[in-house]
Amino acid sequence: MFTDYSSGTRDSSVKFKFFFVKEMKKFPFFFLLLFFTLLLGTMGLVGISIITGQVQEKLQNNANELLTSDIAISARRDLFPLEQESLFKILNEYPHRHYKIIDIYSMISNLRTGTTRLAEIRATEKGFPFYGKMTLKNGEFESDQLYISKDLADLWQVQENDELQIGELVLKVSGVVEEDSSMGLRGFSLAPRIYLPLSKLLTTGLLKPGATGGFAYHFKLNDLTLEKVQRIKTSIYKVIKDSAVRITLPEDSSEQTGRVINTLTNFMALSALIGLILSLVGVFYLYQSHLLARLKDLCLLNLHGLTKREIIVGIIAQFSFIFFLVVVVELLFIIPLYKTLAPVLSTNLGIELSPEVNVASALTEIPFLFGLSLFILVPLLLGLMRTPMGLQLKASKLSMGRFRFWDFMPFIVSLWLFSCYLGHSFRNGSLFFISLLMVFLLSTLVVRGGQWILRKFIKNKGLLLPTIENGIALRSLSRSGHKLTLSFLSLAMGATLISLILQLDKMILKEFALDENKPSLFIFDIQEEQMEPLVSHAREQGAPLAYITPMIRARLEKVNDKKFVRKKRSYDFRSREDDEENRFRSNTLNLTYRDYLTGSEKIISGKPFPQGGAPDDRLPYVSLEKRWAQRMDLEIGDKLTFDIQGVEFEGQVHNIREVKWTTFYPNFFVTIEPSLIEAAPKTFLAVLPAGPKETKLTFQRSTVEKFPNISFIDVEELIGKLSGLFVRARQAIEVISWLSLAVGLVILYGLSHDQVYRRYYDLALMKSLGFSSTRLRLNLLYEFGVLFLSAMTLGLFLGWMIAQIVGREVFKLALSVDWDRLLYPAGLLTILCLVTIMASSWRAVRARPRELLSDS
Amino acid sequence: MMKVIELRKSYGQGESRVEVLKGINLEISPGETVALIGKSGSGKSTLLSLLAGLDRPDSGEILVQGQKISSMSERELTNFRAHNMGIVFQQFHLVSTLTALENVLLPLELLKRSHSLETAKNLLESVGLSHRADHLPSEMSGGECQRVAIARALAIKPAILFADEPSGNLDEETGERVMELLFKMVVETKTTLVLVTHDPDLAKRCSRIIHLEHGTLL
Ligand SMILES: Nc1ncnc2c1ncn2[C@@H]1O[C@H](COP(=O)(O)OP(=O)(O)OP(=O)(O)O)[C@@H](O)[C@H]1O
Ligand SMILES: [Mg+2]
Repeated sequence: MFTDYSSGTRDSSVKFKFFFVKEMKKFPFFFLLLFFTLLLGTMGLVGISIITGQVQEKLQNNANELLTSDIAISARRDLFPLEQESLFKILNEYPHRHYKIIDIYSMISNLRTGTTRLAEIRATEKGFPFYGKMTLKNGEFESDQLYISKDLADLWQVQENDELQIGELVLKVSGVVEEDSSMGLRGFSLAPRIYLPLSKLLTTGLLKPGATGGFAYHFKLNDLTLEKVQRIKTSIYKVIKDSAVRITLPEDSSEQTGRVINTLTNFMALSALIGLILSLVGVFYLYQSHLLARLKDLCLLNLHGLTKREIIVGIIAQFSFIFFLVVVVELLFIIPLYKTLAPVLSTNLGIELSPEVNVASALTEIPFLFGLSLFILVPLLLGLMRTPMGLQLKASKLSMGRFRFWDFMPFIVSLWLFSCYLGHSFRNGSLFFISLLMVFLLSTLVVRGGQWILRKFIKNKGLLLPTIENGIALRSLSRSGHKLTLSFLSLAMGATLISLILQLDKMILKEFALDENKPSLFIFDIQEEQMEPLVSHAREQGAPLAYITPMIRARLEKVNDKKFVRKKRSYDFRSREDDEENRFRSNTLNLTYRDYLTGSEKIISGKPFPQGGAPDDRLPYVSLEKRWAQRMDLEIGDKLTFDIQGVEFEGQVHNIREVKWTTFYPNFFVTIEPSLIEAAPKTFLAVLPAGPKETKLTFQRSTVEKFPNISFIDVEELIGKLSGLFVRARQAIEVISWLSLAVGLVILYGLSHDQVYRRYYDLALMKSLGFSSTRLRLNLLYEFGVLFLSAMTLGLFLGWMIAQIVGREVFKLALSVDWDRLLYPAGLLTILCLVTIMASSWRAVRARPRELLSDS
Repeated sequence: MMKVIELRKSYGQGESRVEVLKGINLEISPGETVALIGKSGSGKSTLLSLLAGLDRPDSGEILVQGQKISSMSERELTNFRAHNMGIVFQQFHLVSTLTALENVLLPLELLKRSHSLETAKNLLESVGLSHRADHLPSEMSGGECQRVAIARALAIKPAILFADEPSGNLDEETGERVMELLFKMVVETKTTLVLVTHDPDLAKRCSRIIHLEHGTLL
């Protein structure tokens, strides 16, 4: 009978010895290369995931602080008793604490100085704020006292214990709020704030029935889950059907900065993903050559009783082991690295990061990474599965079973999912993924097309084209099958990714480029007749004003002669976008008139206003900001009717504008062609550009005295913070881009090296036929030169193209050609190619023809 | 034609040093066909590689047509080989990216011979492979590849042809046909031949047989 060796300890120890001990000892170079390729490729992602995790957590806290609670129900009016009843009926099912906040604007007077100003009164109850902190100059914030904000104190020189008249009530100031975390980086409301107990506000007489302001009910749940909050949200929407009532969750209140940081971290993650893909291309290549080289031994193993399945399991085990080592090294490296870098990163990103690494967050991506890396090997393993191993030993040349397109499916699908996961959006992830797929298909098409043309060209021609080296190179290019396609693909892909990163980086750099002329102070409520004296006053103070813009308060009444109504909302499926829409859809707005565009505006459809104002025989033209137009469902050609303090004003939408979102100057959703509208009641807005602090303060104080109705918003600090943030984020992106570039280059080197290795025998043979080393080198230079250069050109171009698409779709950037970022990498890559070819041909030229005489 | 004096070659160093050739002396006249036989591992391929200038001896001299190839520079040697020698390998090596015709054309165009395309076509016809002219090596059988390799080796009309077990990797019948062809072409062109073989019958067809044993000629 047969002895069964297919199971049992003896067998597994033999396998272990083969796959883990012998193989690794025999091919240290392969395993080392594999290790480093995987390490470089995954390092970026693991690092990014740690930082992103931290940043996200920080943003979440930040968002909570901005809202001050877990969920807020608010409206421009107080909730009706019935609404209140149903609201609390829902919330009483969940243990919670709550408070109410009312924000209203009112004039208040300082009894000591006798001056009066507009202020935003924020009335709060005990418990405020649930999240975040009110920082006082001295002492602690108490919810039964009156406090004033720092800017009001500066402006008014208000002191503690000064008495303020608020409506019918006179109250003593208990302190000055230095920082209110609920203001966040958003910073400015229209007037300086004062903080008041809600019970006191009720006695001021300011809250007459029908008074408008912000009325918000804030809740903090005892044990919070996202799912619970969402459930509460939907049930409230079911009972309170008035779309004027808004439900806000922390993530809805996250501000522009948060979104910017989010975009940036997503971009970093995608860059790191590019690095990973490059390294996986490298892994695929490495394994392909390795398996081919090992095929004979594997066939022998098969002959000696190891099934193909066992061989494949062995290979997978081997790979897993290497991957495991990579992870270990990564964690050993990255965690200490992060700990030392955290303070630097914190200052660089402008948000505080904890130096503690949540190892779990660092590890979440590892299984994905492992899966993805393993899936790239599936085609090779399946190819091995299809190899007729027993027969192979008779054949003079060993060849591996072909892999098919479908074998790549697991990898492709998981890559898609992974990019969506990393991009934090199905749309962005898919866009990224589809772009990659297009590159893949296009490169294949170009290779096949190029080969076809070459074949036509060389048909019936001698080898001298014009030299023999060139002729052989062209033939070899036109005839190598999928190996050439694959190396072209990898090269093109690498170049594409490199170019993509550089282009996007540059585009973001450009978008984040801040105006030299940063504003320092916004000045509001300037009456028409005050304009001239204010301007000259400012000039006298050495603080000339800029950006003097009329501002008209209006309400959108009708669209195309039909009463403007907000779109009905659906109650079951409310996404974040719907909520955002509602926020936008308040139909009162500030508009301005002018017939030019500011530097930060660009018309994206329609024509600019004609010069010289609107003639009488047509409606004045209106220009709309793109996002606002989308939300309000307005299009070019629509007739709009505004109510401006009781007077109807009609205009026609003539163009749609895009406003650069990094601009710090005030922008308007609606601008109107001058002429008719100029007669409308208006105030003016002006900006004081950044300058010495002293000048600003004296200007502000003297202006308040002269023109007490004028309000200021100090944006200097805010803009300083924001611009610092942008600069730092840009630097972070650059570091990541270069890291990916480095990975790409390492892999390109590996690829060309591998190509030369594959041709070893051909080269040795040519040498035996009388090719000198120089001629061999020339031949290789031609062949790889053409391959490299065409792949690179295609890649750089495609990268540029994708960057344009991604830039448009994801970052809302304009089309641009940046020659620097095309030509420099092209130059760099060319030099690198030459060096690589030279280096690898060095090895080939040493090919000894003597080896042709040996048997294997 | 060819003269070999006190040729020595060893591989490895120190303990593992193997002396493969221990002073070979040999003379081959023009037009002679020499069979080189010996046990496996006796150094036949090694000797052939030295004679063909594919490798360098440790000591000794090789003169081909009065020229000392053992003291030529790499460049001179390459050039000399391209003009005077043809080699047929056991593994019927062909340049994998060139067609049958182009493989035959390769040495001709390398030497910038006139009418090389015609010559190559004629040669391919004489080995009976005109119909395979546009095929790549991967699309041909072993026997066909070897016939192309023979055509290629003889294309430049070399003064001397080296062949290392040209039928070793072929089945018996194909091997015989290939050898038939080789001999026919060598006789027709009066080329000097050095043939390494294990086959005594083949050896007998040569004008001289030399035995290699323990690094020396018997
Ligand atoms: N590159 C090398 N390094 C070390 N030893 C070598 C090398 N090449 C050949 N040898 C040794 O030299 C000896 C002669 O080898 P060679 O290939 O010349 O034998 P051969 O007569 O052609 O044998 P076969 O009939 O099997 O082809 C062998 O013992 C072999 O092991
Ligand atoms: Mg031999």
